[in-house]
Amino acid sequence: MSVAREAIRFDNVAKSFAEYTAVEGISLSVNAGAFLSVVGPSGCGKSTLLNMAAGLMNPTRGSVSIFGEPLSGINRKAGYMFQQDALLPWKTVEENICLGPELRGVPSSETIAQAHEWIERVGLKGFAHRYPHQLSGGMRKRVAMAQTWINNPEIIFMDEPFGALDVHTRLRMEGEILKLWAETNKTVMFVTHDLEEAIALSDEVVVLSAGPASRIVGTYSVNLKRPRNLIDIKTEAAFNDIYGLVWRDLREEVLRSYERS
Amino acid sequence: MSAPKRTPIVVWQLLLGAALLALWEAGSRSGLLDKFFFSRPSDIVRRVAEMFASGAVWGHLATTLLEAALSFAIGVAGGVLFGFLLARNRFLSQLLDPYIRVANALPRVVLAPIFLLWFGLGIWSKVALGVTVVFFIVFFNTFQGVREVDPVIVNNARMLGASERQLIRHVLIPSALAWIFSSLHISIGFAIIAVVVGEYLGAAKGIGYMISQAEGVFDTTGVFAGMAILAAVVLCVGAIVDRLERYLLRWKTRDDAAPESHL
Ligand SMILES: Nc1ncnc2c1ncn2[C@@H]1O[C@H](COP(=O)(O)OP(=O)(O)OP(=O)(O)O)[C@@H](O)[C@H]1O
Ligand SMILES: [Mg+2]
Repeated sequence: MSVAREAIRFDNVAKSFAEYTAVEGISLSVNAGAFLSVVGPSGCGKSTLLNMAAGLMNPTRGSVSIFGEPLSGINRKAGYMFQQDALLPWKTVEENICLGPELRGVPSSETIAQAHEWIERVGLKGFAHRYPHQLSGGMRKRVAMAQTWINNPEIIFMDEPFGALDVHTRLRMEGEILKLWAETNKTVMFVTHDLEEAIALSDEVVVLSAGPASRIVGTYSVNLKRPRNLIDIKTEAAFNDIYGLVWRDLREEVLRSYERS
Repeated sequence: MSAPKRTPIVVWQLLLGAALLALWEAGSRSGLLDKFFFSRPSDIVRRVAEMFASGAVWGHLATTLLEAALSFAIGVAGGVLFGFLLARNRFLSQLLDPYIRVANALPRVVLAPIFLLWFGLGIWSKVALGVTVVFFIVFFNTFQGVREVDPVIVNNARMLGASERQLIRHVLIPSALAWIFSSLHISIGFAIIAVVVGEYLGAAKGIGYMISQAEGVFDTTGVFAGMAILAAVVLCVGAIVDRLERYLLRWKTRDDAAPESHL
């Protein structure tokens, strides 16, 4: 049996903001090529974990390694789709999507065609020359997805990417992500508050406890066969078994976080 | 049924202006306003026309515009440069903070005589005065603009591979541009005012000099004529900046337009 490569590793990581400890004692390993989701109550520290793995924040204690190398500074192997709007408002859809290649010195003649493939893939044909403020929230999310994926990073962080999308578009985007992921062997770390989404997409689901000093409550393997049919999967018995199992733990944390606030 | 056509606001604005001028004209003709102190619009218009017809005004206008353009260019360049430098360098901004405050608190008019001594009666004493005004307006706005950049956008650009220099080009400058532009509107007006004040206090040429000459012989019409020409110039230049802004900030929605400057 070959040993799986480790793409991301958190070693006893803690992060405090001044007095407030957001996360503590986080040890987690994500295998290369895995699709891992992080769920937990609002404010528990999911985005904080991604920020540390992206190298945008240093852990207060512990360390993060990427493919076995301790991370310092920006994680050059990763793309990050942020929870907030992060498109450059002064660039059009096309310019936003071309930005990554442009920054790395790829000539624009090579990028444009690729960008238009992405524009079509995320369903924004005809919007190439719009500015972000002329798009709906869901459309902006789809541009952000193209902006991140066009760079072809080995690791992708996605922070609640589909919260703003309607059910139909959401299913389409989720399907697109799974297809791309299966084709390209990327490692995905995916944050969501929707447990159904987490289970439907992932190989593994991590549940965080309510903050402060949030910890990992449990890690659950999702052994559903791939490729998955995202519409039908939610009615499968195996899906519901896993859902029941994870929800028991998550429910408790959600209730705890209600009590505290 | 279509809604009744609304009269565009410009029409009302022009009507108001015309009404005020008519009132002024009527007041001075009826003797209610002393012609010696208030002149009258018809005289002022005639005077302006004469000044352009004889060509006497061109030299003055050119001098004032040159001085204003130089102070604007130097002031904006310096303001943007220092604004960026200090916004990106915490130590430098903290070190210089009290000095900048003191320098900005100084009324510029008191500098005019000193600049006259240093740079003489020619254009450079006026340019120096104009620069001290423009620089600070642009500097504060640039500083603020760079500081207010959305950190999520900065992080996004960095994750996409931006180096520090690319960050400045793709994120910081465009983001600060809205602030810089809001300062340009104001600083153009102030540049013209500053050089005219400079000319007024001591010069051999320029609109300000022209006004002070007219004032010296109690020629109220001449003073108003100079003011009218200045106002027209400021309006024209403002319209050009407006055009430029509309183009460069086309990515912005109109309702979250550039922030107001604090003067
Ligand atoms: N820069 C910061 N300064 C101070 N506190 C912060 C900062 N970033 C996050 N926090 C705090 O850390 C905690 C975790 O924040 P984080 O954004 O990681 O939560 P989250 O799990 O992503 O929540 P959500 O699901 O609502 O996005 C929160 O209590 C938040 O207030
Ligand atoms: Mg979050």
